[in-house]
Amino acid sequence: MIRAIELTKEYRTEGRVHRALSAVSFTLDRGEKLAIVGRNGAGKSTLIRLLGGIELPTRGFIEQTMSSSWPLGLQGGFQGSLTGNDNMRFIARIYGKPFDDIKAYVDDFAELGRYLSEPVKTYSLGMRARLAFALSLAIDFDCYLIDEVIAAGDQRFQRRSYEELFEKRADRSLILASHIGDVIKTYCSRALVLHRGQGSLFDDVELALQVYNDL
Amino acid sequence: MRIVRDGLATQRRVIGALLIREIYTRFGREGLGFAWIVAEPLVFAIPVLLTWSAVRNPYEYGLKIMPFLWTGYMPLLMFRHVGSRMLLFVRVNAGLLYHRQVTIFDIFVARCLLEIVSSLTAVLVSGILFYAVGLLDAPVDLPMFYLGYFYMIWWCAAIGLVIGALSERTEWADKIWMPYSYLYIFFGGVFWMAEWLPPSLRSWALLQPSVQAYELIRAGMFGNIVRTHGDPAYLTAALAVLTLIGLLLMRDARKYVVAE
Repeated sequence: MIRAIELTKEYRTEGRVHRALSAVSFTLDRGEKLAIVGRNGAGKSTLIRLLGGIELPTRGFIEQTMSSSWPLGLQGGFQGSLTGNDNMRFIARIYGKPFDDIKAYVDDFAELGRYLSEPVKTYSLGMRARLAFALSLAIDFDCYLIDEVIAAGDQRFQRRSYEELFEKRADRSLILASHIGDVIKTYCSRALVLHRGQGSLFDDVELALQVYNDL
Repeated sequence: MRIVRDGLATQRRVIGALLIREIYTRFGREGLGFAWIVAEPLVFAIPVLLTWSAVRNPYEYGLKIMPFLWTGYMPLLMFRHVGSRMLLFVRVNAGLLYHRQVTIFDIFVARCLLEIVSSLTAVLVSGILFYAVGLLDAPVDLPMFYLGYFYMIWWCAAIGLVIGALSERTEWADKIWMPYSYLYIFFGGVFWMAEWLPPSLRSWALLQPSVQAYELIRAGMFGNIVRTHGDPAYLTAALAVLTLIGLLLMRDARKYVVAE
């Protein structure tokens, strides 16, 4: 279970306080798939970063009884000047997993081949997304925090991601930030609509998308 | 008990992984690679020390010139390297915080450790080289020499902790570090000893942990032919307070971190 209680995040820029999130609360049980919907700047990525423990909330707190991945997004999590293999080695070490197992899984899932021995900064966004997602599947978390990343991959990657997350790991949870209706309808059973930092929860994803479209 | 043990095991694993990553990102895997850790400070220290000892009057300090410069300059290198590597150390590594196990304290320990090991290896290698060519004698009182280095390392780590944590909070830290690390050459005890100062000035100078650590190192290097004023009890107390301040600032620094 992950429970977010009254999460508020403020940033101070040029002496002014900007509130990115305003008292957002929700509960996610094991196996639940939650979408976070909202326009650019609504606070989706901020919420994902707080859930991933990268930044601390200004007020409110997060209770957590299951492990969650780092935010799988278009950036972060990798050192660009290191090769894919060295990044993998580093991540295997800090999570205490044998490198060979991780490497075998990532090789199979991400299909990056010889690119793994080149610096990550030379990868396309799609390749980065595949590496990040494959690595987090190899490490095996209870909950996956995903910031748009599935949409960055090609068709084949999207199909395989769906298989891994829904058929092989149906008991895992998912928090997916996106503004692509089709992706959300395919992956999620509930939705949190964010608008100017305020959140409203919907058990009906179709309704949530309608509300989002009318914003 | 179990939780503490698991926690420590995780921390050791994370710091180990960070060290390896730091070595690869800084020195690459081609050319000298790993050997740069030792070579980098040496490339700096050997020409500087040789030039100085050549241009200075050999009796300027009333002591042999090379041992005096060597005991002053090598810890100065450690101080400056540790300090400047700690400036904005969280921000330049913000990507690491994507992984929950990695704390800013782990990043600090890994960076600081690498810098200290690198500096100490340079002390050892330059010491052996200068000894072999007859420019340097072995320290007279080796335990005292080590004790002085112990406090010098602690001082560098503590100042790194403070400056690193402050630099995440205010841009002033960065701006102040530059003149401070330069003026430190004059005020920090690098090229003088407390005995040479008038007594009124001496008591002020000895408030600085670096000055006292230098006193101990030189007591170890030269033995009874110099009068020194290092006090391990004062150093322990002063550095414990400085470390505590650094740790409190560090805990606070986490709040100022904004990810990419």
